[in-house]
Amino acid sequence: MSTLTKVLIVLLTVASIFLCGVVVTYVASANNFKEMWENRRDSELSAKQQRDQAKEDLNTAKKLMEEERTKLNGQIADLNSQLSNLDNQLTDAITARDEARRRKENYESILADYAKTVERNDQLRTAALKAESDLKAEQTRLNKRLEDVTNALNEKSAIVMELKAKVTGLTLEKTALQEKLDKFLRDYGKITAQAGPVTIMKEAARVAPPMTDIDLNGKLTSVDLKNNVVELSIGAADGVKEGMRFHATRDSKFICDVVVLDVEPEKALGWLELLQDKPQDKPKTGDAVSTNL
Amino acid sequence: MSPATQSRGKKITAPDNLYTAILAVALLAVLATAGFVAYQCYTQYETLFKIQ
Repeated sequence: MSTLTKVLIVLLTVASIFLCGVVVTYVASANNFKEMWENRRDSELSAKQQRDQAKEDLNTAKKLMEEERTKLNGQIADLNSQLSNLDNQLTDAITARDEARRRKENYESILADYAKTVERNDQLRTAALKAESDLKAEQTRLNKRLEDVTNALNEKSAIVMELKAKVTGLTLEKTALQEKLDKFLRDYGKITAQAGPVTIMKEAARVAPPMTDIDLNGKLTSVDLKNNVVELSIGAADGVKEGMRFHATRDSKFICDVVVLDVEPEKALGWLELLQDKPQDKPKTGDAVSTNL
Repeated sequence: MSPATQSRGKKITAPDNLYTAILAVALLAVLATAGFVAYQCYTQYETLFKIQ
């Protein structure tokens, strides 16, 4: 065997062993592509199944979504119509509220005017009542005076009638006596002389009219020592006036003074003055009061 | 003359057996590699010569 052959043999052996080592290494470390392919295929199949299932689910969900969308659109339309109705109601309510506010302001102004009118009417009524009481007192006084005057007139009329009758009788008697006198004097050639005019005496100074006491008398009908006021049994009809001073007495003993504060037709209210310290000298109901002691 | 003719005319000596052994080793290595590859191919792909 030649050297070359030997060398080639050796090289061939080495190369063979080397290549076998490489091949073994490569094959041992190579991936099992079939298994990988099968796994991938199975994965792909399962993925396809999942995709199909997901598509079906998607279609189902789409259908449900469309149905929900249709339902919700219907609900939205209903809600929109409700919203527009509520808007209209709100507008109406706002209008009604403004109207009510305006009416309330009107009523308030009317009420204020009414209150003023009532107050004015109260004032007028109070004034009218006062005037009425004054008028009643005046009327009572005038009625009394009328009665007095009527009685005096009747008396005077009776006196006048009597005097007239007397005058008539005296005139007839005078005429008869005149005729007798004339007849008597005629026999002697004489007649009676005419009477001369009577002159009125003018006085240079006149005497002042004499003064008289007011002389009003009454009684205490009510006594309030706490407030220092009393009530008198006489009023404006009897001639009582505000500011008049009465003297209260009991068994000719002076008790106190009463100054008239308020006068009514039949009674008067007075303020106590000059009260005495002793309890038995305090004014009581039934004590006499008069303007002059 | 070729070296092969020359080698056929002589007696077989121990160096000739060495190289034979070397070649046998190489052959065994190649056969082992082929067997290993066939085994791997069969276990992995369940085929030797066809592509499934």
